[in-house]
Amino acid sequence: MTMHAITGVVIDIREVQAPVLAVMLLGACAAKLSRVLRAGSLDAALGPTALFPQAARRPTAIIVCACELALGAALLVTVPPAARDGTGALDGAAADGARIAATAFFLVAMCALIELRGRRPDVGCGCFGDLSTRPVGTRSIARSALLALAALASVGGPGLRLPAGGGGVLLLVIFCAEFLVIALLSPEAGAVLARLGRSEPCELRSVPAPRTLAALHRSSHWQRQASVVTSDVPTDLWRELCWRYVVYPGRLDGADADVVFAVQIKPRRPAIRSAVVLKEKPPTFPVETAAPETPAPETPAPETSPAETASREAGSRETASRETASREAGSSEPGSTETAGTSSTETASSDLPPGVAALNAMQKSNAL
Amino acid sequence: MLGQNGYVACCDDSAGSGVEELAARRRLLKAAVLARPDRSGRAPAGDGAGPRSAAAGPPRVTAGTVVDASPHVLTICQADRTERLSLMPATSAWKGGPADPTALRTGDRVVVRLDPSRRGVADRIWANIGRVAGVIVERDRAGIVVDAGATRGRQVVIIPRRAEGRIQVRFPRLEPGYLIDIIGLRRGGVFEGLIPATSQPAYRADQVPWPSPVGSGPLSRLGGTATWHEPVGQPDDVEGIAYPMLDPDPGCGDQPSPYSGRVRMPYLCVGSRVDVRNDCTGESRLLLVTSCAAVARLFSDRCVTCGTSPRGRVADLALASFVTLGGELERGCFNATITIDR
Repeated sequence: MTMHAITGVVIDIREVQAPVLAVMLLGACAAKLSRVLRAGSLDAALGPTALFPQAARRPTAIIVCACELALGAALLVTVPPAARDGTGALDGAAADGARIAATAFFLVAMCALIELRGRRPDVGCGCFGDLSTRPVGTRSIARSALLALAALASVGGPGLRLPAGGGGVLLLVIFCAEFLVIALLSPEAGAVLARLGRSEPCELRSVPAPRTLAALHRSSHWQRQASVVTSDVPTDLWRELCWRYVVYPGRLDGADADVVFAVQIKPRRPAIRSAVVLKEKPPTFPVETAAPETPAPETPAPETSPAETASREAGSRETASRETASREAGSSEPGSTETAGTSSTETASSDLPPGVAALNAMQKSNAL
Repeated sequence: MLGQNGYVACCDDSAGSGVEELAARRRLLKAAVLARPDRSGRAPAGDGAGPRSAAAGPPRVTAGTVVDASPHVLTICQADRTERLSLMPATSAWKGGPADPTALRTGDRVVVRLDPSRRGVADRIWANIGRVAGVIVERDRAGIVVDAGATRGRQVVIIPRRAEGRIQVRFPRLEPGYLIDIIGLRRGGVFEGLIPATSQPAYRADQVPWPSPVGSGPLSRLGGTATWHEPVGQPDDVEGIAYPMLDPDPGCGDQPSPYSGRVRMPYLCVGSRVDVRNDCTGESRLLLVTSCAAVARLFSDRCVTCGTSPRGRVADLALASFVTLGGELERGCFNATITIDR
């Protein structure tokens, strides 16, 4: 590679800095504004403003945001050679002024982050709003230093010219490489990737209880246990991770029983299971009578008839409690796991009133 | 609801929570409906050898009301019995601040951490300690009215002049709508706020930031802050954990805010079991979820007891559980990792 080519690359690197810095500044400003708008208060803009007295935090947050917006815009409009050479509306001094101001801004930001890390190690830098919630670390400080260096390198450089042929590709490569380096130094990069690609796991999904009850009441499990269930009002209802459990009072072969249904937390076609458990004196914690398992709806369980359930009543309490996990009779599937696969499952809202009524009745009876 | 967490009258409270029975019943029913039989077609065996029991090991904490205090022996009255505890030269106490055990008086409500190596010996004693966390509802010359959630109701916090500066530094906005979390002394139904338990969030309680868009790891294992609360209507030595993310539908009415909190936490229920690990001491304990920690969801603070914890409160422990896990009550928190017991 000739000296001339190396010089050309260095010039390209210097001139790419202005648009890179502009993108960073405008992006940071937009992220902060987005956070403030969502929270409905400027107080949401944390970060280095936590170093200031309470009264000064709000103005400081506004000033930081305004600086980012102004510097980003200034860097952007002074990128073309016309501004650089003084042949356009702006002269070269304006371009250098914007770049020097950006250098000063990033240096101040770096110092603020160092100070914040020392005095408030629990506070995130807030550089990119909601994405910057992790405590300030070395990476954030190094990023500010790198940006300050980049701004300084761009001072006095020529305007960004888009050469024909391979020169444009080289500029693009430099541009991408620099963003890659910045991304590696940014704790926010992981948050962005995860936000783009992640769906909500069932453990976190909010599904109202009435919808669960509606899906249950439509299922064939409910119809099969109808002869055992003695009341439409559940005696207990709880949610744990990906399943919601509903317990109804029942009677099997003259003995009181609990009919328990497990309904998967799923917006459509939830898996449903059921079992009849004969009533007995509840075991005292921490005696374990049954093994909890990670729900695995894909693995069906074999059926057990009600008669089999009843025959186990005479067994020991532990045995009874485990083995009365009976699978209802008459299931057309090899296991008791059922998917409420009818199209009506997807229109659960039409069945909400009975579910709501049952839920209200349960809450009322519990309150009494 | 001033005085709700006042002195526990001696020997008149034998209330059982019923949570353990509920938990056992729910686990039985859950196992019945979800258990997968083995190849022989039988249901799997119980997990008696599974996770550590919540009641395993000798008690590390006792609590009660002081009926007699001498330089060497402390007699406390519990729900159904009295207990004599030996005081050693190394035994330390807290009563609004570091104090000598001789400062304890008859009628003081104490929580005692027992010496693990010697039976019946007190290692550390906290007298009349209390905590109020919630949303400021009102402030006047008489004090600050705090909404501590549906379970704990409204409580009045009085900040004595000597503690004003210390609290103002960490809680600059003692105004309606903002959060407060203060540790102090309960004296005959009056709560004196003395120590800020955390730094005040900059946001109002009705403007809690939305949850972080990402989870930093598997949902069954969460890191964050563990705090403590006083059990309501139960003795102070009752163990348990108030969990911030109970299924809201079956009546978890303890929710002053529609926000789901800062930490993405899976839904659990009363009776679920959670393994709580104190990251500072390495001690862990399997605890039952006994109530809803709605107020804990509003805080997105970090604990810096040992290093800096991830943001957000993942567990609000009963006072006894907090001490058992090696927490110091006056510090207010410890860095914790919780593991959901599936």
